[in-house]
Formats: sequence, C-alpha cells, structure tokens
Amino acid sequence: MGLIENLKSYSEKVQTSEKKKELLTSFLVKGFPTTKDEEWKYTSLKKVVAKEYTIENTGELIDSSTIEKYSLGFENKIVFSDGKLISSPNIEGISISGFSDFEDSTTGSVLQLNKALANNGFTISVDKNTVLENPIEILFFSTAANNFSQYRNQISVGDNAEVKFVERIQNTNDSTSMVNHFTQINCAKNTKVEYNKIQNNTADSRLIDTVSVYQEQDSTCDINTLVFGGSFIRNNLNFEQNGSNCESNMNGVSILDDNQLADNHTFVDHKSAHCRSNEMYKGVYLGKSKGVFNGKIMVRPDAQKIDAFQSNNNLLLSDDSSIDSKPQLEIYADDVKCSHGCTIGQLDDDELFYMRSRGIGIEEAKAVLTYAFASEAIENISVEPVKLLAQNLLAQKLNVDLDFSL
Amino acid sequence: MLKINDLKAGIEENQILKGINLEVKAGEVHAIMGPNGSGKSTLSAVIAGNEDYEVEGGSITFNGEDLLELDPEERAHNGVFLSFQYPVEIPGISVSNFIKTSISEKRKAQGLEPLPTKDLLKMMREKMELLSIKQGYLSRNMNEGFSGGEKKRNEIFQMAMLEPRLAILDETDSGLDIDALRIVANGVNKLKSADNATVVITHYQRLLDYIVPDFVHVLYNGRIIKSGGAELAHELEEKGYDWVTKEADKQWA
Repeated sequence: MGLIENLKSYSEKVQTSEKKKELLTSFLVKGFPTTKDEEWKYTSLKKVVAKEYTIENTGELIDSSTIEKYSLGFENKIVFSDGKLISSPNIEGISISGFSDFEDSTTGSVLQLNKALANNGFTISVDKNTVLENPIEILFFSTAANNFSQYRNQISVGDNAEVKFVERIQNTNDSTSMVNHFTQINCAKNTKVEYNKIQNNTADSRLIDTVSVYQEQDSTCDINTLVFGGSFIRNNLNFEQNGSNCESNMNGVSILDDNQLADNHTFVDHKSAHCRSNEMYKGVYLGKSKGVFNGKIMVRPDAQKIDAFQSNNNLLLSDDSSIDSKPQLEIYADDVKCSHGCTIGQLDDDELFYMRSRGIGIEEAKAVLTYAFASEAIENISVEPVKLLAQNLLAQKLNVDLDFSL
Repeated sequence: MLKINDLKAGIEENQILKGINLEVKAGEVHAIMGPNGSGKSTLSAVIAGNEDYEVEGGSITFNGEDLLELDPEERAHNGVFLSFQYPVEIPGISVSNFIKTSISEKRKAQGLEPLPTKDLLKMMREKMELLSIKQGYLSRNMNEGFSGGEKKRNEIFQMAMLEPRLAILDETDSGLDIDALRIVANGVNKLKSADNATVVITHYQRLLDYIVPDFVHVLYNGRIIKSGGAELAHELEEKGYDWVTKEADKQWA
C-alpha cells in the first residue's frame, strides 16, 4: 500500500467532474516524480508517498483557543479547519471567499494532482487602489489523522493595490500528514504584495507548496519563506514578470535538525526589460538534516537591463547534515546584470574569537553567530510580528537567549 | 597584575615573540611602541588567547593565575580585555544584543543572575554619553558598515561596559581623526582607576599625548629592547626608531 494505492481506491469512489477524473487517472499512470526527474534529482518522495494516508479527511472542528495558539493575533483572519472555511474577515475593497477553481499554466504531476483533487482553498480579489496596512492572516488547520489534503488558492490584486499576507499550515495532532498546496498570485500594475509563509508544522508533517506569481508592470512582490518545522518540505516558487519595472523578492530561512528535509526551488522568468529580482536563502543544518536549493533564473531575449541577484548561503553544523545547492542561470539577453553566489561552510574563526574575547563561551558564541547568519534573510520582512516570531523561533532552535525588545 | 616571563610565541613555524618580559601593576598605564612587524599585535593576541598563535615557551600570569591555561572567554571573565586593531563585523547581531550576551555570560561565570534589562540600558546610556555616542547606535548591527572611527569607539564602549581589570588597546588610534581620538582617549582616562591597568599599543606618540603612560616599552623583532618613562615616547617621535633598533641589531646579531 501507500499513497498511490490510497489515491487509486479514492478515485474509484469519488464523485467529481469528468475532467477532474481524467486528470486523476492520468496522474495515477504517471505517479509522483522520482529522482530521475531533473526537478526532483536531490529530493526523493519515495518514503513520503510510501506512507498510508486518508484523502481529504475531516476531523473535529477547531475551537477558538487553538486558533489563538497559532495565530499571530492579526485582526483579519481567514481560518480553515480540515479544508472547510470557517472564518473570513470583511475588509473594504477586498472580497474573500472559499475555493473556486481556476486554470493555471504551472506544470508537473504534483500540481496536476492538486488540480484533480482540490475542493478547498481561498479566493481573494483585491480591488484596485486598495491599500491595506495590516496583513491578512491565513490559517489552515488539519485535525484529522494521516490526512492528505490539497488546497488551491488564488489571489488577484488590482492596479495600485497594496496588501500583505501571513500564512500558516498547522496540524493539531502529531500524526503523519501531507499537504499539497498551490497558490497563484496575480499582481496587476503598480501593486505591492508581500506574502509570508511560516512553515513550522509538527514533526511528522510533509508539505509540497507551490506558489506562482504573475506580475504586471511596476509591481513588486515579496515572498518570505520561513522553514522551521516538518519532516519534509518542498517549496516551488515561480515568478513570471510580464511588464517593465517589476521587482520580485524572495527571502528564505531554513533551520533544520534530526532527519528533516527542506528543498527550496525558485524560478524567476524575466520576460520583460528593466526588471529586478533578488533572492536570499539561508540554511542552517543540524543533526542528519538535508537541504536543497535550486535557483533558476531565466532572462528572455527581449528582457534587457535586468538586474538579478541570487544568494544561497548554508551552514553545516553537524557531520551528518548535507546541502545540495544549484544555481541555474539561463540568459538570452546581452545587457543584463546577473549575479549569484552560493556558500557552504562552517562558522568564521575570527568572529568566534572576537566573541570569546568578550567573555561569550564557545557554545553560546556559535549559537549567536548562527543566529546572526540566518537572521539576515528575515530582516526584509516588513510585518513586525512575523519578523519577531522568526527571530524567536531561530533563537529557540539554536538555544540562544537574545532579547529582541532591547 | 600581569606578569609576562620570557614569552616565546609564533604562528606556524615562524617565531614572532622571542622572549618578552613585562610586568604591569594595577593603576599603571604602559605603552608598547615599535616599528611595523615587531610583534605588537601578536603579543596582544597571545594575551587574549587567540588560538592561531602557538606559545612555545615562557609564561603569562594574571593576578597569580596561569593565563595560558585559560580559554579566551575565561580570560575575559577574569578581567582581560582586548580592543581589536581590526574589530570584526558581525551582521545580524545588534550592538545591544551583543553586549547583553557578553555581560550575561560574564555574570553567569561569576555565578550572578543576568542584569535586569532596565539596569543594562541605563548603564549603556551612561557609557554612550561618556563616549559621545549617538542614539540609534545600539540597534545597529555589530560593526557592520561602521567607519574606522566608529569601530574603535565601539571597542571602547564594550570596554566601558565590561569594566576590565586589564585593557589592551591595540592600535586604537589608527583610523581615528583628532576629534574621535580625543573622545576615545578621554573615555579611557575616565575609566582608569587604581584597580585596573591599561596597555596601549601604538605606532605613534600622538595617542600618548592624551593617554599619558607611566612606562613606555619599545618592542622590536620580538623583544622589548628599551623601556623608559613617558619621555621615551617623545624621544622616539623626535628621533625615530633607528637609534634603538641599531643597538638591538648589534646585540642580537
């Protein structure tokens, strides 16, 4: 048995449209990607899909104290309990509703499965010129054991609008779970969007998360991915720039221990001239954890005057941890500035000595330096409570006592 | 307080210190001068416990305790402080968090509870005022993007916060303009007491106009070749190092 078998028996029973059935059948023929697939070369799904799951299971409705426990306390909250939208805010200029299917151009069998199975997710439409100062917090709770769930979300942001999001997928029990999550973000002209992902789920949770961003001219979109908890996380982050003067920013921090795996795949498709992209991913690996980074930047023939910057810096703090880092630049325009850098290393001896000479013991010094290393990637987060949470989770994972209120 | 006896140390195969003898008592200010490459920074690094340098012989005791047996952090807990010639940048850690950690670690080693935040901030403000440090400085990242002068001032700020018994100022004057020099020197003078000692390592007499030493030593080719009072620094400024180094070259040839 295993997930494929679970999906087969599910497909025999489920009532759904012909089109979705076809998608599911064709997925079952292909199966999940394997390490023979270039995009999954360093990340094996084999063990993840060998487990038993219940497809789209529902458990108990969550209560307000659970919501409070995981919420960062923002006023505007969208809450899902086992896929069911149980609460959504009324915000002027923004319409929020549950799942509504949409077409997408993102490829891959995992997304095909998402399209075939998804009945849950959110649909957000932001009217043009709407500027929302406070972020919208989106919480997906799963209460059922061994659940395999899909969410399919769409955000459309109208001209000149500005909006921020904070998202968290959370299990309320310690059982195995898997989430196949897809979010499409359409940024119209001159929009500003910031999307923060807090990935700090339970120890036996697995997540494949895909975000596809489509940007029109003069838009800026920031995606911050904070990976702290979960046994398996694969993030696919795709940007497509379809107009001049677009800016795409990606910041990521992964701090992993035990047998955790986190794979960040990014793809920036520079289709228009005079655009920018910045990505900074930092990884800290303890125990037997494993990291993967694959950053693809494509600059199309007409996309002149592109400024693309990518960095992926990693600290391996144990003998058994590992990282595979792969920058992938495809540049077909001649007047562009593209730079990328990748480092894999240990802590700097000069910095360690400096701290020790100030009375900071070696273990504390190492932890503080590791914290400092990772925190650079969270400095660009504009939502203070998210930044603070990230700092606290970092400090907690590294066992350092830093007072961020100082 | 500090007793250095026939100290020999180097890096890899290269012996840099070839038998240093120096005694510093509480309340004293010593200046160590000398041409480039004479071993001044090596001496300060060895006292602070930099593991890049290997001690090949001799001893260093600090208040009777064998300093060479201690880790760098233990030396700091005992009251040794080194103001670095090239302070290290640590992006991602604010000055306030760095100092808080540093003080908490020292107090922990002494069996004390961490200082309440309120008291710590009060102390920081006092010391900032002493060194004419502007608001906003505490939340900046440790030495990141600091000018040469700001970095040196940050060193003295840490010294003021940690209240060491022995402060070694390694080329603290380099990179400082005259105003900054005056502020830093003024800070050092105010922190001076009968219980602590200062060792000023410098190239030039300039700093010694502001921090007046009780003793001046000339370090050359890994040895202290001449010692005297404050007037020796003036003499060196006037005549250069040649007149003392030639003598030494003859003696150690």
